[in-house]
Amino acid sequence: MSSQGGFGQSKEFLDLIKSIGEARSKAEEDRIVLREIDTLKARLSSPNITKFKLKEYLMRLIYVEMLGHDASFGYIHAVKMTHDESLLLKRTGYLAVTLFLNEDHDLIILIVNTIQKDLRSDNYLVVCAALNAVCRLINEETIPAVLPQVVELLGHQKEAVRKKAVMALHRFYQRAPGSVSHLISNFRKRLCDNDPGVMAATLCPLFDLITIDVNSFKDLVVSFVNILKQVAERRLPKSYDYHQMPAPFIQIKLLKILSLLGNGDKKSSEQMYTILGDIMRKCDSASNIGNAVLYECICCVCSIHPNPKLLESAADTISKFLKGDSHNLKYLGIDALGLLIRISPEIAEQHQLAVIDCLEDPDDTLKRKTFDLLYKMTKSSNVEVIVDRMIDYMISINDHHYKTEIASRCVELAEQFAPSNQWFIQTMNKVFEHAGDLVNTKVAHNLMRLIAEGFGEDDNTADSQLRSSAVESYLRIIGEPKLPSTFLQVICWVLGEYGTADGKYSASYITGKLCDAAEAHSTDDTVKAYAVTALMKIYSFEIAAGRKVDMLPECQSLVEELLASHSTDLQQRAYELQAIICLDAHAVENIMPMDANCEDIEIDKNLSFLDAYVQESLEKGAQPYIPEDERSGLSNISNFRSQDHESSIHALRFEAYELPKFPVPPKAPSILSSSVELVPVPEPSYVADVHQPATSALTVSNSGSSELKLRLDGVQKKWGRPAFSSTTPSTSSGDTFESNNGTTRHESISSTKSKVHDVSYDSRKLQPEISTEKQKLAASLFGGASKSDRKQSYTGQKVSKTNSHGADKSNLAKAASSSDNAAVIPTSQPPPDLLDLGEPTVTSSAPSVDPFKQLEGLLDPTQDTTKLSSGGVGVPNAPDIMSLYADMSLSGQSTTVANPPPNAIKTHLAKQPSKGPNVQEFLEKDALVRQVGVTPSGQNPNLFKDLLG
Amino acid sequence: MGIRFVLMVNKQGQTRLAQYYEYLTIEERRALEGEIVRKCLARNEQQCSFVEHRNYKIVYRRYASLFFLVGVDNEENELAILEFIHLLVETMDRHFGNVCELDIMFHLEKAHFMLEEMVMNGCIVETSKSNILSPIQLMEKAS
Repeated sequence: MSSQGGFGQSKEFLDLIKSIGEARSKAEEDRIVLREIDTLKARLSSPNITKFKLKEYLMRLIYVEMLGHDASFGYIHAVKMTHDESLLLKRTGYLAVTLFLNEDHDLIILIVNTIQKDLRSDNYLVVCAALNAVCRLINEETIPAVLPQVVELLGHQKEAVRKKAVMALHRFYQRAPGSVSHLISNFRKRLCDNDPGVMAATLCPLFDLITIDVNSFKDLVVSFVNILKQVAERRLPKSYDYHQMPAPFIQIKLLKILSLLGNGDKKSSEQMYTILGDIMRKCDSASNIGNAVLYECICCVCSIHPNPKLLESAADTISKFLKGDSHNLKYLGIDALGLLIRISPEIAEQHQLAVIDCLEDPDDTLKRKTFDLLYKMTKSSNVEVIVDRMIDYMISINDHHYKTEIASRCVELAEQFAPSNQWFIQTMNKVFEHAGDLVNTKVAHNLMRLIAEGFGEDDNTADSQLRSSAVESYLRIIGEPKLPSTFLQVICWVLGEYGTADGKYSASYITGKLCDAAEAHSTDDTVKAYAVTALMKIYSFEIAAGRKVDMLPECQSLVEELLASHSTDLQQRAYELQAIICLDAHAVENIMPMDANCEDIEIDKNLSFLDAYVQESLEKGAQPYIPEDERSGLSNISNFRSQDHESSIHALRFEAYELPKFPVPPKAPSILSSSVELVPVPEPSYVADVHQPATSALTVSNSGSSELKLRLDGVQKKWGRPAFSSTTPSTSSGDTFESNNGTTRHESISSTKSKVHDVSYDSRKLQPEISTEKQKLAASLFGGASKSDRKQSYTGQKVSKTNSHGADKSNLAKAASSSDNAAVIPTSQPPPDLLDLGEPTVTSSAPSVDPFKQLEGLLDPTQDTTKLSSGGVGVPNAPDIMSLYADMSLSGQSTTVANPPPNAIKTHLAKQPSKGPNVQEFLEKDALVRQVGVTPSGQNPNLFKDLLG
Repeated sequence: MGIRFVLMVNKQGQTRLAQYYEYLTIEERRALEGEIVRKCLARNEQQCSFVEHRNYKIVYRRYASLFFLVGVDNEENELAILEFIHLLVETMDRHFGNVCELDIMFHLEKAHFMLEEMVMNGCIVETSKSNILSPIQLMEKAS
């Protein structure tokens, strides 16, 4: 109970919590919070609030913001509370401030001074609280105000302070790398700190630093390996153990660092092999945390210079992950497989069925991960299957974010590996049709350019074939309703350029289609513009070819409509069209040359062709041209701007300003001058450091984003630059592998096909049929087995595997259906309604949840009734009840153990007798809660449920 | 930067604790919390404990009626984060004794203090329960 410390909170607070806890809908919660805002505004404006009251108000303000409402009216009170002497109040103040304000908020400047004072405190807990605040509130401008003190605290005698000082520096590094660039050596020093907590914290900044610049930290490989070894050998205090693993979170961080350091570095990697092998051997693969460490080991093994033995155990671990029942492990397995196939591509083959199972799993997370894997292993032999699957999936989902991503991946894969022009055009059509409004317009422009330029080969016939097939498919599609705008633009452009190029279609046919499209999308100006320009091109090609142009009536009406359009752009296009049609063939040929979209147009930026005209005008007495910057009116503005800019470069000054010299008044704005006395900093030298970091900050963010980019290593580019974008030496082997399979693939497909034939008429063979389908899929994805004898054994293996898998599935299905009522939730709740805040099972579940009722049964019945009737006002009764509990607790305990109730709370207690809190404590807590008026009622049974039950 | 936010939201979508390690406006938070909880509630126990949402990866774990949700970026070890959630719950359990949703509601600041000890700048910095709890216990004694 000591940790509980009583509730010491006012009735008002308890009532608030109670009503929030019992709110049954978001709307009700909102009403409560709005009322609370009014109350708080009134309370906070009263003149004398005690400190402890104020702390409570702050917590209520935190609730207001947490539940989605604005509490800015009370921010200033949070700021004030940070000045308080009491540690608890101070820390609560800091907490509220960090939750309320972002680092650029105006009020922060008022706290800097307090932070500086607290950093100098004798009480190390105050220093810690201030360092916490430093990590959340100090921005680039205010770093110099606290930096010297933080650096000093790196040598503090208390390890908790050193740890937080390291993290504060880390934060400065994140915000403004330049501000701490001269302090990097401190991180190295802290890595050798006596305290494991400080050492572990130091890994965070070091990880970031190493991510940016590996080479400067190669000398630390030995240290990291040593530390990891010590951790793995349980040299750290027992309190770091988690589920019998020695400091697993530290191990994981170290493994992440090692994988950076060993990447592409044989010498460094060799130092890591032993410890990696040891950890992988010793790791407990039965626990989640053990598997988390194992997974990190695999990541590391796949990143560093390859070692056959380690790769082998990585492969073993992966197959364990994939074969397990846990979806979480399968997820990690698929992810790890994606890493490993870059080094040893042949590994994919033995997991093909597991991969396909994951691909077909109803779990979206797993499915997506598998698509990631497929994306990584795409090559020209399997691109069709993979992209088709991706597109099917893309069509089936609604999540825009992922739809966009998968669409762009489809485009990318199609561009790189397309086996034929037809397929490429068809694929692009599908992508545009179903995700056209999501894909980047760049993709559309890329497609146009690809069609226009061809694919970089000198073969002109291939290019014109591509164009013909594009035209053909677009003519088929253009009539469809609800095409995305971007796609229509592409279609119009291609039809305009190449619609009549191969002579297959007449100009009137194409123009008719274009007019229909423009009419069908009359609200889309961009499409209309593309359509009109396409019309113009087709007519001018006709004129240039010497044919007579007969404008279709619908074209004429379209042009007439556009001549009067509100859009000046459309108007201009229509007028240009009209003008061109009246010109002779020679002129048209010059204006609109055939197939010239790829030719560069020279632009005369000096407008020299106007010289004669200018000369003439000058002679007639016109004013000569004055360049913009020489014009008098504007020069002031630009000067002003540059001045303004210069002054903004100067950051806030934290040292005292010099005394004002009369008659020149100080130039600083009023806020700054008021802050002067708040933040006196003796060393001005650090101010200089803040001024440069802008550029280095940029590079950090850049490299960060590039990390998120798709991994293209080892992917052969078919089109575009004819190079390998790979750094791993394994790509070449991957390619030979691929070409080997190219030939055997058809074989395996045909053999599986014949198998389908054999069995397909047999009605009872439903299951084998599924398996052959899977095999087919596997064969097309993975290229099947490369040797025929192996193939034989494979199919056998596959069938047995899928059979067992089928059994698994039925089991799973059973489990799933039963889990609906068996329920993981201790009380028999129905499957959760989405955000339906109603509590339908309330009446039935409430009694069973209430451990208290059972105890009440043990008590005197009269006591029971008074208690029930007193309910919320139970405070005066409390002492009696408490003493009664004290008396009864023993018997209460024994009864609970004797007849364990169905709810989880008691069983939990019975199961874990060794754990600190016992029944008595639990009941006391319950009593206390009740005493303040929160009883486990029908409305809040869950509030009382043990989280670790 | 690893961890982007830590949330505790109950089955009815009511937020019980929210700590963001990057700045989001109140409206953005409200929308995000609603979307994520809806997503997680729609999943069953067999499915992965990980969900992608916008540019976050959400690792979640359910304790009684309370969801613990941690938003991380792509480089993070999901399973380790899942265990980190458990460590957090174990730590709270050690402090409160049979921690329940109401404990967190009544002692929101303490739950935050524990989290402050465990996560800084979006990184896991402390995983020893005694190190996490000792400053909080000392503070309680002092006041």
